[in-house]
Amino acid sequence: MATYCYDGSFEGLLTVIFRAFEHRSIPEQIISTEYKQLGLLASAFTVNTDELLAERVLRGIDKRTDNRGSRLIYHMFLSEQDGAEMTIFHLVKNLVDKGDILSNFGNPYVAKAYQMDKMIGREVHRMHAFVRFQKVADADMYFAIINPSCNVLPLIGEHFVKRYADQKWIIWDAVRNYGIYYDLQREIFIEPDHPLLKTLVESSKQEDCYQQLWVDYFNSVNIRERKNTKLHLRHMPKRYWRYLTEKHSR
Amino acid sequence: MSKIFEKLKVLADAAKYDASCASSGSKRFNQNKGLGNAEGMGICHSYTEDGRCVSLLKILFTNHCIYDCAYCVSRRSNDVRRAAFTVEEVVDLTINFYRRNYIEGLFLSSGIFKNPDYTMERLVRVAKQLRLNHNFHGYIHLKAIPGASPELLKEAGLYADRLSVNIELPSETSLQKVAPEKQYRDILGPMNYLKEEKEERSDHRPQRSKTQLFLPAGQSTQMIVGASPESDLQVLRLADSLYQRQKLKRVYYSGYIPIATDNRVPALKAPPLIRENRVYQADWLMRFYQFSVDEIVNEATPNLDLDIDPKLSYALRNRHLFPVDINQADYEMILRIPGVGVKSAQKIVSSRIYQKLNIDHLQRIGVVMKRARYFIKCPGLYNANSDISSEDLRSLILSGEQQNSLQLALFS
Repeated sequence: MATYCYDGSFEGLLTVIFRAFEHRSIPEQIISTEYKQLGLLASAFTVNTDELLAERVLRGIDKRTDNRGSRLIYHMFLSEQDGAEMTIFHLVKNLVDKGDILSNFGNPYVAKAYQMDKMIGREVHRMHAFVRFQKVADADMYFAIINPSCNVLPLIGEHFVKRYADQKWIIWDAVRNYGIYYDLQREIFIEPDHPLLKTLVESSKQEDCYQQLWVDYFNSVNIRERKNTKLHLRHMPKRYWRYLTEKHSR
Repeated sequence: MSKIFEKLKVLADAAKYDASCASSGSKRFNQNKGLGNAEGMGICHSYTEDGRCVSLLKILFTNHCIYDCAYCVSRRSNDVRRAAFTVEEVVDLTINFYRRNYIEGLFLSSGIFKNPDYTMERLVRVAKQLRLNHNFHGYIHLKAIPGASPELLKEAGLYADRLSVNIELPSETSLQKVAPEKQYRDILGPMNYLKEEKEERSDHRPQRSKTQLFLPAGQSTQMIVGASPESDLQVLRLADSLYQRQKLKRVYYSGYIPIATDNRVPALKAPPLIRENRVYQADWLMRFYQFSVDEIVNEATPNLDLDIDPKLSYALRNRHLFPVDINQADYEMILRIPGVGVKSAQKIVSSRIYQKLNIDHLQRIGVVMKRARYFIKCPGLYNANSDISSEDLRSLILSGEQQNSLQLALFS
């Protein structure tokens, strides 16, 4: 039993899994260097990310699961739920020991895996819904900020590319401080120092007008006789209001 | 510009009583780097304070109307502000809301001005402009105006993802009473015509290209519940027949909201929201749980129980079919257990191959045990209440739920 330490990347985690199998050991915990606490340093085993080994682990998983497994554990990883790393490890170990058990929802690791998958799936769906673009003044560019509870950016780009194929856009994750930029050809991930971000001057008169029309519309379609605050909050938790045009501007 | 604000307020307000909000089920893909994509799942972009989903820009083209239907705010005799959009205004709002990711597309309805064809022609023109001039592939739901000519309906079907004609009241007699200018014939006529047109086109699919979609998301309708004396049995039988014969994709139910005093409709204190909810649950049982209407309501019990959901109600009326053995029963029977949804039922069937399922497994799978426990048999579950009468079981379950909500109230 040992604590394994990795660089926080998906490939890093897969390398940890490879090393643990190599050592025939079950990690006591797997932690990202970012979260490494001083007290643990002494006994922690730091694993250097190796993309080739990571690839081998992924192929091994997919071979056993009819190509379903790698996507599932990627989602689990991006869900950032407590204990995701160890659940992924145990799931992989179960797959190696018992074969394809992904349809056995009675298995505790499979059940947990799908819970995490569901969690991030819900967040992806929420972001499909809650992204609110603003047109940048004097530029043919749309900009949106989100604060998702999971790391959804790698999973939502494709949806917006299909939908907004004819407009340039940026979606910025304010929690994780990075974004996706679509330049009409392809999507690229951008960091806070990207020069494009400095050119984003907020709002124009025309933009304010459409935002106001949307807020008016939102208020007009409400039926007062049916007021149901509990339901409203369940569908639109307050934590998302900050970047929702129709909820923050009042 | 200030005029557009006024128009939007009036014409959104007048459209909000239409319950339809779906934006799913179409097969329209983005093409040629255009704007929008309407394949797959629908998205609710926002929720109003009444908890209803906002998926489409739902507006009337105009609320001027030559008809005088008692249940409708826009009826001729009602003293309300009137407004009308231009085609360009609707197109511009749709495109600009869509580009900002506010909506999945447009839901365009209208009061009837001049005559049905004149009105329908405007709605079609909006859809046509969006598709042809703006390369728009988002979702479009148009109202099919009762009495509009087949040529216009056909054209509408080429540009819209979904068309709907509202049946409004659950019987022809009631419809005649509150909407003297409307008849079932004018409502079922367009439904049947569109159904046949769609079927004929899908029969000839091979030689037709993808660009010639015809109503890819089918048809829907809406029925008002609580404005007339029909029982839930009548409501659900009509819905069932619309699903079977007109091949509708969805029937929406709208608890009657007393929008004005008109002595042709009852003066209710509050809309019958619980009844509306129960009717929706029954509708789901028909569409996803393989129940027939008569298993949900029948001549002996023509109305749904307002205190418990229709699935629990069915189980209590059919105790001889329970408890269901989780490890042996068919999928169809597992689906009928209160507390087991479609997903849990599928998981049970796929997991019991690996091991005999016990109570821990069921919890992991996501079965609502406090509900299901009275209706299942599985290792680890001791069912102390197996010989209790249905009536006592009903109060036992209800009191448990009350206790729960009491506890929740204490901590909130």
